[in-house]
This record gives sequence, structure tokens and C-alpha cells, in this order.
Amino acid sequence: MANLNLTLKVWRQESAEAQGRIETYKAKNIPDEASFLEMLDIVNEELVHEGKEPIHFDHDCREGICGMCSLTINGVPHGGKKVTTCQLHMRQFKDGDTIWIEPFRAAAFPLLRDLVVDRTALDSIIAAGGFVDVRTGAAPNANNMPVRKKTADAAFDAAACIGCGACVASCKNSAAMLFTSAKAAHLNLLPQGHPEKNKRVLAMVRQMDALGFGNCTNLYECEAACPKGISVDNIAKLNRDYMLACASEAFGVFS
Amino acid sequence: MNDIITTACKFVTSSIGRKIIVALTGSCLLLFLVGHLAGNLTIFGGDVAEGGTSWINHYATGLHSMPAWLLWSIRLGLLAVALVHIVLTLVLKYENYNARTHYRKENTLKATLSSRTMVITGIMILCFAVFHLWQLTFNGDPHDCYNHIIAAFQDPMCSLFYIVAICCLFMHVRHGLQSVLQTFGLATRKVRPLYNIVAYLFGIAVCGGFIAIPVCVMLGILK
Repeated sequence: MANLNLTLKVWRQESAEAQGRIETYKAKNIPDEASFLEMLDIVNEELVHEGKEPIHFDHDCREGICGMCSLTINGVPHGGKKVTTCQLHMRQFKDGDTIWIEPFRAAAFPLLRDLVVDRTALDSIIAAGGFVDVRTGAAPNANNMPVRKKTADAAFDAAACIGCGACVASCKNSAAMLFTSAKAAHLNLLPQGHPEKNKRVLAMVRQMDALGFGNCTNLYECEAACPKGISVDNIAKLNRDYMLACASEAFGVFS
Repeated sequence: MNDIITTACKFVTSSIGRKIIVALTGSCLLLFLVGHLAGNLTIFGGDVAEGGTSWINHYATGLHSMPAWLLWSIRLGLLAVALVHIVLTLVLKYENYNARTHYRKENTLKATLSSRTMVITGIMILCFAVFHLWQLTFNGDPHDCYNHIIAAFQDPMCSLFYIVAICCLFMHVRHGLQSVLQTFGLATRKVRPLYNIVAYLFGIAVCGGFIAIPVCVMLGILK
């Protein structure tokens, strides 16, 4: 078990209004089985012992399912290893490495402190249409409601989105298309979500636009950065569904 | 009627709606490129064909002798399409710039150089198009198109400028074509790699065809 000595370049900012800056810290004796967040815990413990303000960062489940952790590591959200930051282990780094740690940056994600950003904007896209209006009841018998295997798989893959915001943070345009399209697709594909498909698509896209996210330019950075491997197929589907929903709203066709 | 107008207004101000319009106008411009290339390649018919006029002179005089209303509606139509394409992309780009706060340490996982430089290559193409129209469309006698082109490309700086501009066009078209298919919602994981290949082949065919003319003049194949 080799222990690592690292140099950290960390974004520090006391409050939303304060001027932020990069500060350099030494992370000494980091076990390589530690997760990235545990590495920060070790650094923070030392900072507290020295009487300094620890580095503030978001985290919750630390099992890769809640979508709360949110660091941009060396310019890539979650470090680009197809896992969340909490599941990124220090064995991915080499002794002597310099690691840049910055918040998820986007105008729609206002910074609260250090590495903590407010991702409420994603919740308000969900609140605009990412739900089914009526009670769908308990889990039905799998054969009660026929769903094609392919469709069920696509819906499940889209539903794997944990809403962490890495797609927005990695996007060169800070677009929220991958998030919005995954959340819309997973309901639109299934029979329970189908009756409200057009209404949902229009509401979610309009809300996304209103929140000041950028416009997708098909760079596919989001797909590469997504810890859950959400496919940009969902974006193509959202584009398609949006056209149909507009036609439905304007002319009453495809409804 | 009200519904139609309301939805149309929302469509042309939405992110996806504007992207679809950019994709539509882009597709028109791609089609124009194919037509333009087909016309250009007539230069390989040589200086003097049977009947006294070369193919390209015949083609150029044919274009100029179209009824004025038809010629000008095609020209103005193309201009309108190009303007919509340019203005909308610049507006989208401006919004994208404002939607971002920049990293101290920038990194890119997957985005290609051509996809990240669409605005730059686009502006290069625009500058080129203005020069190109001035040089070869609005100057020179269509009856002597062949010699006019040869004379222009015998200047190495002019040929080099054309070649650089067409390389920009290749980058723009390569990302543009596969982007159009994604924006129209026609892409899936299964066909996306195929679209990428098609975009490359289309770019190579069209831009290779355009570049062949200054290169052949410089090499003395066309005289």
C-alpha cells in the first residue's frame, strides 16, 4: 500500500459575493485506497488542527447514488472516470501529482462557498414537468402493463440519471440538455408517462431555457463526463419530441 | 390561429427551436455546396471543348442568362438563408458564453477541435465567401470564366487563401453534418458512428473537389 503525496490546487471563495481564488495545499500521506472525498477529509482535518477554515464541499451518500458530490477535478466533473467523485479512488492518481479541484461551474449554478454550488435549477426543471400527474399506484405485476423490452431498457437507462449536474459542468456551453432529456425520456417512454408527453416536453424545455442554461452544440462532453453513462440519444429524442410537441400545441397533430 | 402564432414565437425563441432552424439553414447551405461543386468541376472539361466554348464558360453564361427574377431570387434566397444561419448561431453563441463561468484548469474529454471552433471556422468561411463573390462572381466576364479562374489561381497567395478557407469549410461541414442529424433527432447510438463517417466522407468529397481546382492550377494541370 503506497501512500501518496499530492499538491492540491483548490478553489476557495468565502461566499457568493467574495472574490474566489486558487489556493495550494499539500496532501501528505494519502492512502491509495481512500476515496477522493476521504482524501479531502484528511486534508480538512489537518486544516482544522492548524486552526484554518476547512475546504467546503458537497457530499452525502458516498456510494455513488445520490448525486450530491460535485467536484471538477483537473477540469473534468467527477474526474472523468465514469464514476462520481465519492467513488473515485486515489489509486487513480500518482505520487507527486498536482490536482486541480474546482466547483461545478455554470451561471445557472451559483456558487455558495468554496466548492459548493446551488443546483436548485435542475430541481426546477423537474418541478416544471418531470413527473406524472396522477397516482400510478404501487409497482404492478410485471406482465400487467406490457412494455417492450427495448423501451423498458431505454427508460431504465435514462432513469439512471442521479441529477448531479456533471453534464452542465462539463458542457462548453453549460447546457442542461442531457439532464433534461434523460428526465423527460424516462417518463415519456413508459405508459404511465405517455399521456402527458407533449405537455411535459414543452414545460421542461421552456423551464430549462428560462433558467439561463446554454444551448447544446452537440459536443458530447456531457456523455463523456456523466458518471452514469447517460447517452446523448436522449438529447436526439428530446429534439424530436420537442418538434412533435410544438406541432401538437400549434396544430393539434401528434397529440 | 392564435395557437399557431404563440407556439411559433415560442419555438423561434427556444434553444431547441433555434438550433433546428440553424440545422435547417445549414442543410440548405450543404445542398448549395453540392450544386456549386458540380458546377465548378466543369472546369476540368478544359479550355476549349467542341463547339468553341469550354464547359465552364458555357455553365457561367448559362447562370448569368437565367431570367433576372430567377437569378436574383436564388441569390437573395441564399443570402437570407446564410444570414439566418449566421445571426442565430451568433445569438446562441452569445447566450452560451453568458451561461458559462470559466474554469481555471480547462479540460476536454471528447469534443473535437472542429466542434469547438464552429464559430471561428464559420467566420472564416463568411470572409472567404465575401472575397470569393467579389473576385469571381461580380468581377470578370462569364464568357471568359475559364481564363479568369486560371489567372486568379496562378497567384500562389490567392490559391493558398482558397485552400486554407476550404480546410475551414471542411471542419465546419464535418461537425455540421453530423450535428444536423443529431439536432433533427435522427441520431441514435447505433447510427451515430455511421453519421460521423458519412460527415467525413461528405467533407472530403466536397472540400477535396473545391481544393482540386487551385491545386491543379498550381501544378500546371489546368492551364
